[in-house]
Amino acid sequence: MTALLEVRQLVKQFPGVTALAGVDLDVEAGEVHCLVGQNGAGKSTLIKCVSGAARPTSGTIRLLGHELGAGRPGAALSAGVATIYQELDLVHDLSVAANIFLGHERRLGPLLDQRAMRREATALLTRLGHPGLDPDAQVAELRPADKQLVSMARALSRNVRLLIMDEPSAILDPPEVDALFEVVRRLTAGGVGVVYISHRLDEIARIGDRLTVLRDGRTVASNLPASTGLDELIQRMVGRSFRDVFPARRAPTGDLVLRVCGVARRPHLAETSFEVRAGEIVGIGGLVGAGRTELLRAITGLDRIDTGQVFVRDRALPRGRPDLAVAAGVALAPEERKSQGLWLDWSQVSNVTISHLRHLGRGPFTDAAAEHRAATAQLRALDVRPDDPRRLASDLSGGNQQKLVLARWLLHSSQVLLLDEPTRGVDVGAKADVYRVIAELAARGLAIVMVSSELAELVGFCDRILVMREGAVVGELRGEGATEEQILRHALRTAPDAQPEAR
Amino acid sequence: MTDGDPSAARAGLRARAALRGVRVQDVALPLVVILLVVIGAVLKGRIFFSTANLWNVLVQASVAGTVAVGMTFVIATGGIDLAVGSMLAAAAIVGGHYFHGAGSAAVMAGTLVAAVGFGAVSGIAVAWLRIVPFVATLAMLAATRGIAQQISHQTPVALYDLDALTRIGSQRVLGIPIPAIVFLIVVGLGWVVLNRTRYGRYVVAVGGNREAARIAGIRVRPIVFSVYVLVGLCTGIASVLQTGQLASASPVVGVGLELDAIAAVVIGGTSLAGGRCTMIGTFFGVITFALIFNLLTLENVESQIQQILRGAIILGAVAVQRRGH
Repeated sequence: MTALLEVRQLVKQFPGVTALAGVDLDVEAGEVHCLVGQNGAGKSTLIKCVSGAARPTSGTIRLLGHELGAGRPGAALSAGVATIYQELDLVHDLSVAANIFLGHERRLGPLLDQRAMRREATALLTRLGHPGLDPDAQVAELRPADKQLVSMARALSRNVRLLIMDEPSAILDPPEVDALFEVVRRLTAGGVGVVYISHRLDEIARIGDRLTVLRDGRTVASNLPASTGLDELIQRMVGRSFRDVFPARRAPTGDLVLRVCGVARRPHLAETSFEVRAGEIVGIGGLVGAGRTELLRAITGLDRIDTGQVFVRDRALPRGRPDLAVAAGVALAPEERKSQGLWLDWSQVSNVTISHLRHLGRGPFTDAAAEHRAATAQLRALDVRPDDPRRLASDLSGGNQQKLVLARWLLHSSQVLLLDEPTRGVDVGAKADVYRVIAELAARGLAIVMVSSELAELVGFCDRILVMREGAVVGELRGEGATEEQILRHALRTAPDAQPEAR
Repeated sequence: MTDGDPSAARAGLRARAALRGVRVQDVALPLVVILLVVIGAVLKGRIFFSTANLWNVLVQASVAGTVAVGMTFVIATGGIDLAVGSMLAAAAIVGGHYFHGAGSAAVMAGTLVAAVGFGAVSGIAVAWLRIVPFVATLAMLAATRGIAQQISHQTPVALYDLDALTRIGSQRVLGIPIPAIVFLIVVGLGWVVLNRTRYGRYVVAVGGNREAARIAGIRVRPIVFSVYVLVGLCTGIASVLQTGQLASASPVVGVGLELDAIAAVVIGGTSLAGGRCTMIGTFFGVITFALIFNLLTLENVESQIQQILRGAIILGAVAVQRRGH
């Protein structure tokens, strides 16, 4: 019998980054196949290729022995591949039935056949074990679990053979997860194959049949039984580390620079307190959505906080005033560099000087020569390539764009540097360069907070690691205790929670 | 900009094809202006090139042109101001009705202050109440026209007796009509503020990437607020010019002025999405429109036909620019 889905040697390259470097995946009809791996291991890219949302660079994807048309979502859909994404792609202003039949509405001549769609919607929902869901209800008013049900009914309405579920349980309460698993079992009993992606490793043994582990864009273990132990799984996900790319650093001994006291922004961020010394690099680990970016934005005042206070060298920052935070020396290098960090159609110079213009001109006027001098000095110090300050920011690679943002904050003599995924989208080679720059900044006495999803980076580079889960800091790791396994355990709720020391 | 020689214009075209990175609108508009001058020379050589006519072009452009300078700042932030035409009338009426007895200076000051005030209301609505600029200024369009008609009881306020004010509309300095001088000064100041001051940089920064601007420490809301005040100030200046030319404050002036100003800015190459703007482009956009209508008037084309052509030109110019990207 041929496999339902057969992926062989799939490679996907983006400009400058290899997302998939040869992935194999086999899924049988009627099984739940779990896909696990760290953030950035290639899971999302893999399912985008299978669902036709992305075109693979090379490799084959076969469904029941027939090759799928690459890069064409329509072809994958009509072949019976449906995907339920983390951000459910429902139209909130339409009814349940309208969403289920979106794009393949039942018709009577030129008119919509509302009655048929309502009837069939109820039939599909009944098949999923939820006959009570009203097909006329507005999707906007449904609970997340019910929205997910609508997504699954939509997939079923298209005679799905392979259902890909990306983190379906992330938005659900425990009882809802039980209900979801019940639905998944109904589907597989009907012969549907399911690819199930979840960060909650404990779920895998409950729902999965087999599993495949991805790491750095490769399949490192395939078709393991879902009962594989947690320790073995984590070890396979983590693999070998590349510690030698991290520059050697001295232990920090500086003054207290940043003090975060009870800062909270509900429901995204629970009360959080920590402090950072001059020259210290504090890592923040945790899953995507654990509240790490929210924490950085709360510190800078970009998002309003409910309670708490941030101090920089004992001076309190006013709430909700990012401009005053910048003036006080707090700098953020956002994860979304292109959309939040830079003006891509501006020169390198203008991108570097924007926060420092007050000091680079006379009165209200700007001074192009002074700007050029000041920016060039910083750009050279960070070795930004190409070495032409007039070139546009859009001409730079990811690593050099990151350095451009850092050059801005260096010029502004910032004291606290908040880095959100500083090496995301940066080539492996250029990463070492970014680490070197960050280490230099720490050596100059900056207090650095670094959010990262790369465990090796946290362990190999940071003096101390705070692990966040569901909007709260749930563990603090340092020294021998700071291992990739420990971070994952805290992030995944498989270790007892430790309260971070509140000083 | 190249000189008036058509062969140089062709060379310019070829250079543009050769030089990547030179944007179409950087050179296209000066070429259009040159082309219009050439057409004018061919069709109506003697009349067109009379100094009286050429200054007349600038005078006719001065009201919409002055407003377009402020509009460039608004559009640079990704906003728009539809209320400028009504604001022009309301500011004129406020100045003329309440300050007539106090002399020219008082009328002008009243007009300017009123226009700045109206702009501030738009600015507060957009920056702090977070009303979409299109809607906020559409509401102001309706409200300020109403204010103009209410205060004036729908009749113009005659201001013939105010010498200094009417001289603005009729007199020349060094042979140049005063409205033309005012327009050129406003364009010049606008260019300096946009390209040579911190404030101008912040305006473009906010329009180009609002979130990056916040993270870089720029206070976004005061900047957004300020551009509506700025367009209010420019509208106030334009209102004084208009009142001076008519020697009366009229509640029905400025209808469609927002269209003229926005069209000149957009044709000049400023992006409606914000973040990319050019004051020189706005200047040429204003001049282009003024030349076209001057030529059509000299050819005795009826004004409703001119209106239709105006719409066609806007569509065509923006379509050409789209292809340039």
